[in-house]
Amino acid sequence: MSNIHDKELIRRMAEEAKRGRLSRREFMHYAVAAGLTASAATGMWSGVARAEPKRGGVFRWGIHDGNTSDTHDPGTYVTRQMIYLAHQIRSYLTMINPDNSLGPDLATEWSANPDATVWTFKLNERAVFHSGRKVTSADVIASLNHHRGDDSTSAAKALLTDVVDLQADGDHAVVITMARGNADLPWLMTDYHLAICPAMDNGKIDWKSADGCGPYKIEQGEIGLRWYLSRHDGWHGEGAYFDNVEMLILNDPNARQTALVTGDVDCVSLVELKTLALLKRSRDIEIDNVASGGAITMPMHCNVAPFDNVDVRNALKLCIDRQEIIDKIAFGAATMGNDFHLAPVQPYWPEDIPQRAYDPDQAKSLLKKAGMEGLSVSISTADSLFSGAVDMCVLYAEQAKKAGININVVREPNDGYYSDVWLKKPFCAVSWGSRPTPDVMFTLAYKSDAAWNESYWQNERFNELLLQAKAELDQERRADMYREMCLLMRDDGGTIIPFFNNFVYGRRSNVKHSGSLAASWECDGARAPSRWWFES
Amino acid sequence: MDYFVLGYYTLLIGASCLAAYYQQRPIFMLLFSITLVSFVMGIIGGKEALWTTTVVAASIGLAAGTSYGFREFLINISGRETQKMLRTAPLTASFGMFIIFTYAIMGIFAPVIAPYGEAEVIGGAFDPPDENMLLGADQLGRDMFSRIVYGARNTVGLALMATGAAFVMGAMAGMLAAVKGGWFDQLMGRTADVIMSVPSLIFALLLLSIFGTNLTVLVVIVAVIYAPRVFRLTRAVAGNVVVMDYIEAAKLRGEGTWYLIRKEILPNSTAPLIAEFGLEFCFVFLLLAGLSFLGLGIQPPTADWGSMVRENATLISFGEITPLIPAAAIALLTVAVNFVVDWMLYRSSGLKT
Amino acid sequence: MKDVLIIVLKRLGLGLITLFVISILIFGAVELLPGDIAEAVLGQGATEENVAAMRKQLGLDRPAPVRYLDWLSGAVVGDFGNSLVSGSNVSEVIAPRFANTLFLAAYAAVIAVPLAIILGVIVALLRNSVFDRVANVLTLTSISSPEFFLGYILILYLSVKTGYFPAIAKLSSDMSLLEVLHRTFLPALTMVLVVMAHMMRMTRAAIINLLASPYIEMARLKGTPAWKVIVKHALPNAWAPIINVVALNLAYLITGVVLVEVVFVYPGIGQLLVDAVTKRDFPVVQACCLVFAATFILLNLAADVGSILTNPRLRHPK
Repeated sequence: MSNIHDKELIRRMAEEAKRGRLSRREFMHYAVAAGLTASAATGMWSGVARAEPKRGGVFRWGIHDGNTSDTHDPGTYVTRQMIYLAHQIRSYLTMINPDNSLGPDLATEWSANPDATVWTFKLNERAVFHSGRKVTSADVIASLNHHRGDDSTSAAKALLTDVVDLQADGDHAVVITMARGNADLPWLMTDYHLAICPAMDNGKIDWKSADGCGPYKIEQGEIGLRWYLSRHDGWHGEGAYFDNVEMLILNDPNARQTALVTGDVDCVSLVELKTLALLKRSRDIEIDNVASGGAITMPMHCNVAPFDNVDVRNALKLCIDRQEIIDKIAFGAATMGNDFHLAPVQPYWPEDIPQRAYDPDQAKSLLKKAGMEGLSVSISTADSLFSGAVDMCVLYAEQAKKAGININVVREPNDGYYSDVWLKKPFCAVSWGSRPTPDVMFTLAYKSDAAWNESYWQNERFNELLLQAKAELDQERRADMYREMCLLMRDDGGTIIPFFNNFVYGRRSNVKHSGSLAASWECDGARAPSRWWFES
Repeated sequence: MDYFVLGYYTLLIGASCLAAYYQQRPIFMLLFSITLVSFVMGIIGGKEALWTTTVVAASIGLAAGTSYGFREFLINISGRETQKMLRTAPLTASFGMFIIFTYAIMGIFAPVIAPYGEAEVIGGAFDPPDENMLLGADQLGRDMFSRIVYGARNTVGLALMATGAAFVMGAMAGMLAAVKGGWFDQLMGRTADVIMSVPSLIFALLLLSIFGTNLTVLVVIVAVIYAPRVFRLTRAVAGNVVVMDYIEAAKLRGEGTWYLIRKEILPNSTAPLIAEFGLEFCFVFLLLAGLSFLGLGIQPPTADWGSMVRENATLISFGEITPLIPAAAIALLTVAVNFVVDWMLYRSSGLKT
Repeated sequence: MKDVLIIVLKRLGLGLITLFVISILIFGAVELLPGDIAEAVLGQGATEENVAAMRKQLGLDRPAPVRYLDWLSGAVVGDFGNSLVSGSNVSEVIAPRFANTLFLAAYAAVIAVPLAIILGVIVALLRNSVFDRVANVLTLTSISSPEFFLGYILILYLSVKTGYFPAIAKLSSDMSLLEVLHRTFLPALTMVLVVMAHMMRMTRAAIINLLASPYIEMARLKGTPAWKVIVKHALPNAWAPIINVVALNLAYLITGVVLVEVVFVYPGIGQLLVDAVTKRDFPVVQACCLVFAATFILLNLAADVGSILTNPRLRHPK
């Protein structure tokens, strides 16, 4: 589904199928030819052929990442618990559609001036908060300002540094002025921190009351345990078929699994990959396996020996057997990485860059060239990064032995990994969430002066291209620039990317969805409660 | 009714009759109650239940036979004094000794016994057992049997060191406190209270996060966590000994503290300490497993039974046996150690029957 | 009786000092932990600026002793401060969870303690018999499996396969007591299995230890039946070590069950404490640890008083 024509073709086929002019067999045939995987095509078929959403029921949802000390402050959202909850009780200006395109949420339309420095967002006039008050420009401005200014404690501050000014244009339009052109601003507005909360008289937002304008409102709940929500009747969007949603925090993988098997919940947000094959045997359970832009990276500090030598970096990239890692760590639920941080499901993915293969011999000769035969390095990792994080490094160490490289795996404490190990130890494993566009990701972690430049990589050409691409509105030229940047990352950069992890979540088979699933978060971009329904 | 069921009951009833004829009351009672239980189980569980009973009985029989043989073997190779002592050992104790002996051999000669290295990847994930891999493969395709063998060395070695250190610290402090009394006693007692009143997992989490997780730190921290329990026990036991007349006499003789501890108190408080050792030893295993739950345990790829259980624990919900193997290894050792401890306790209690 | 009262008062005083020492230790430990609350709350997404802003907001820029004294001055009048992360009052956060923990501990204790002691007496009576061995092997096996693993096995057989009990201990306020007992049965059973062996073995050991004493020999020679010898003569003198082990295990039931809470998704205090440590939320860590410590000290005190009261020689001093 990489180019626009295929997308259009599939959309038309779906239309035909809906009217009954296309058989399942024909549909599958064309869809696979158009680049869909067989399972995605099956999902789509069942989606279009019998998708007639029904209202009602309590959707019980087991969630894999929650903490008792989380808060409703959108600036400090970290865990899935709060991020998912925010997608139910609050709204964003824009949202990622099930087909991964950008769609309206609170903003109905948006437009920019030619150099993409001034953006206008028109708000939906029907939108109301749970308290009954209308959503106005003042609320949007206060919500965005929450992440700006010197005294802001928001983690999303870096996202909005280029914003110079926010102005209301009447009650239902907001004008955003940027210091530099940014063609991706509407995409940025889907970031989970930028939830719209009610403004108070002093221009701050009232986040403590957990009021919002999302499809559901909180009936009762306790942080880190459970939330019980009911439908917000004045919601401005379409969907929200369930009467109630119960979110349960189930941090233990076994608890989630048994809850799903015994029917104590209708859906869980993460399935332990080790048991995936076993779980699939059950007829009552459907597994959704969705390719995402979330990446596993292994940054090497390019300013520290021996990683300051590009041959060493490339040798380390060559001595990893990605296929074995995907088979044994991700149990097949992953897309192979190619050492540039852009996944096939994301926009501007360059399809013609050859896949780097496992080649210990070439790695050996590169090391010979660098005079570093018998290289010995340490890699830091922790169990909490992702399921199998330590095992992955152990496996990598075994694979690298064939190239004469000795990798010493250091398991660091889960607690404090991102403050003490990441950006500090010269070689470590990291897990990244999906970002909507390459610009966001590259600016965040590969630009030479980025705070999170995890590999301390400095490449002038890359930085130059990044700035050019940001303000480029011509799609083809922009795609070419991203392709060149990807090549630079792959051949010069300091980050090994073994794979992009899929979202793998499970639901009881009486829970239905449209067949296409957003790849921004688990469970259809965390919007399962407002998009899915029970089959009666 | 097929031949297996027929043979099963014929054998059981025949054997009970024989036992009754030769007036072997306990054996008769055992066999006949198995017969009665089998009737009920056979009706509920069918042939499979009977088959299970047979397998269980056969393995118990095998274990008993091994234990008997091992005891005779030990008696034959040991000196006169030890022979006398060993003859009093019940079968369970010699079973315990046999298991400990096996584990010790496994640990010491791990590299020779294990067919593969502990980190060596040789197959696919969760490959079933075959002639190459005795117990199948783990989640990375490493040989499960080799890892169990190496685990014996790493886990038992670590647990022994930590428990040993805890006992040395705790017992020394306890006896000193009992002999010296006064402020020293109070200080030690309160320190022990402080350590014990913080939950052990949290205590370890705090300390390991501060001091880093290398092996030495790990052993010291586990020892510090368990030392207070040993201290309290020793203090209580030694407290009873210290008030005895012979201690008074020794003090009047002008014997030093060290002499009192070594010659008078220690010999009189070994029994409860040994009993405690058996349990503490297995608690240390569990603490190590719990620590690896928080990502603070032994460094990978070192094989460690506790982490091996944890890594694949979720598979148990589907009736897979992978996580049961290391768990069984821990359980078997615990049971074995405590069997031996029971026997020692029994001997030291002075009971003759 | 008066002596007992004096002992109790003295021990309570010492307990307060112990609590004070613990509070200093915990404060020090949380200070020494790498990273601080600002970094932990903001997570991977923190930049230096907003970490600094948050530190200032929470008053973390003040020197450590000042912050400790600040906390202490509140604590002595019963105000444990507010959680640094959520801003809500610590006592309000902890109280309902501690109540849950106590409930589960009590549930497990009501089953485990009598069962362990009765079984202990029986195996002491039938020592070295098949029954003794089997009970021994079973209880030892159960304590030598990690508790989360025991939980998984119980879930498999009693929940997934048979559906007798729910796998998740999801509680709500409108449940009847019976329903709550049913829902929390599996976690309680797991904890019973975890603590039983220790208590049973100590009962057995304490009784067997006394069997060689002259007065037991005497009673036996008089022709008293074996069970009567044990229950009437041996048990009363064996109470002291038994009570001590029971107290130790009760304390464990309250303080050591984080993993059981995680496995059964039970809203107890253990999970709260681990979360608070991860987030460096000092007031919550401190309050949880002090609650645990106080529980431990009180249980110990109760055990000591109990052993005095049950010992005839100590009860009626010469």
